[in-house]
Amino acid sequence: MAAAGAEAEADEEELEPLFDYSRVQPTMAFSFDDTDIEKSDIFVHCNKRSKVADGDGDANADEKGDKGEQKAAKAAAVVDLGEEDWLPPPPPPKPKSTVTDESEQSNVLKELRLQKQAMAKFAESADDFLEKLAQTARQKVEARIPTEHIDLDKSPERHEAREKVVVTVQDKAGHHQFRLYKDEKFGKLFRAYAKKVNLSVADLTFAFDGDKVDAESTPEDLGLEDEDMVEVLHKTR
Amino acid sequence: MSGGIARGRLAEERKAWRKNHPHGFVAKPETLADGTVNLMIWHCTIPGKQGTDWEGGYFPLTLHFSEDYPSKPPKCKFPQGFFHPNVYPSGTVCLSILNEDSGWRPAITVKQILVGIQDLLDQPNPADPAQTDGYHLFIQDPTEYKRRVRLQAKQYPPIV
Repeated sequence: MAAAGAEAEADEEELEPLFDYSRVQPTMAFSFDDTDIEKSDIFVHCNKRSKVADGDGDANADEKGDKGEQKAAKAAAVVDLGEEDWLPPPPPPKPKSTVTDESEQSNVLKELRLQKQAMAKFAESADDFLEKLAQTARQKVEARIPTEHIDLDKSPERHEAREKVVVTVQDKAGHHQFRLYKDEKFGKLFRAYAKKVNLSVADLTFAFDGDKVDAESTPEDLGLEDEDMVEVLHKTR
Repeated sequence: MSGGIARGRLAEERKAWRKNHPHGFVAKPETLADGTVNLMIWHCTIPGKQGTDWEGGYFPLTLHFSEDYPSKPPKCKFPQGFFHPNVYPSGTVCLSILNEDSGWRPAITVKQILVGIQDLLDQPNPADPAQTDGYHLFIQDPTEYKRRVRLQAKQYPPIV
């Protein structure tokens, strides 16, 4: 700047300027050297501007810093993005996930509450059921005590084990079906049939597969199956 | 294969028979000495029809089924020398429905065979004689034929 001022003084000495710009502007120096102009006091504002530019530069610097920070942030963001891409639940989605978690949790909680209520009802009904069972069991036991005594006389175990068989008795007129225990003697069946047809057992003969059936034998002895046919033959004739 | 078919069919026939059969008839598969049942041979009884000279007789008949049953009919045999125009001296019954080449159909049941033979007893077929004795008496001496039939019925009394 000092050098520029010296040059301006030297120019003033060589030529008397037609118009003294000094009144208008204290120092007027034209120089096409940009660097000088930039550096001269005349363009203080330019300097200022440059300063401003510098400021801008600073600002840029600041901006750069900011950018750097932003870049860093961006980089971080990129990293974050990268993380987002590579890892399913990174920082940004985290809140979302937590929100959904919360909603899910609330749903789960609701379900749990409902289930709890259902279980409570279940438990109540189970209690009721158990009570009823206990009552019925007591009633059954009470009811069974006297019947058991009666059954004991008739040997209940044997009663349950005894199988029944349906026997068809065929005479010339048609069929009659009788139900008897497999271990029951045929004599009872013979008497029942004789009574039904109003005849004496002594006049009748019963046959299965062409063989006479003994009154002392049982369906089990002959291997009779349900609805097997036993024939009646009349002795007298 | 055919044997399996024969036995399966015969098992069904026996099952049906046990549940229902005409009065006086008997039809049961042979029981061997060791207690096992032979479905291929049945021992049957055919009662003589009421109101005929055959009445009162319970005639034993044996059915011999082959492995080709029911494609082929069983051989039905009365005792050797059975008196009837249509029974061979061996006892084999000659009847159209028992002839593979004429009347036999696989659908014919054991019950139908036995009832068919019962009908044949009193209604011999003179067009198809199987023995000289029975045939000649039936044609030439109805009175003697009748006596012989009644006599034979007495030979096979009921089990009572």
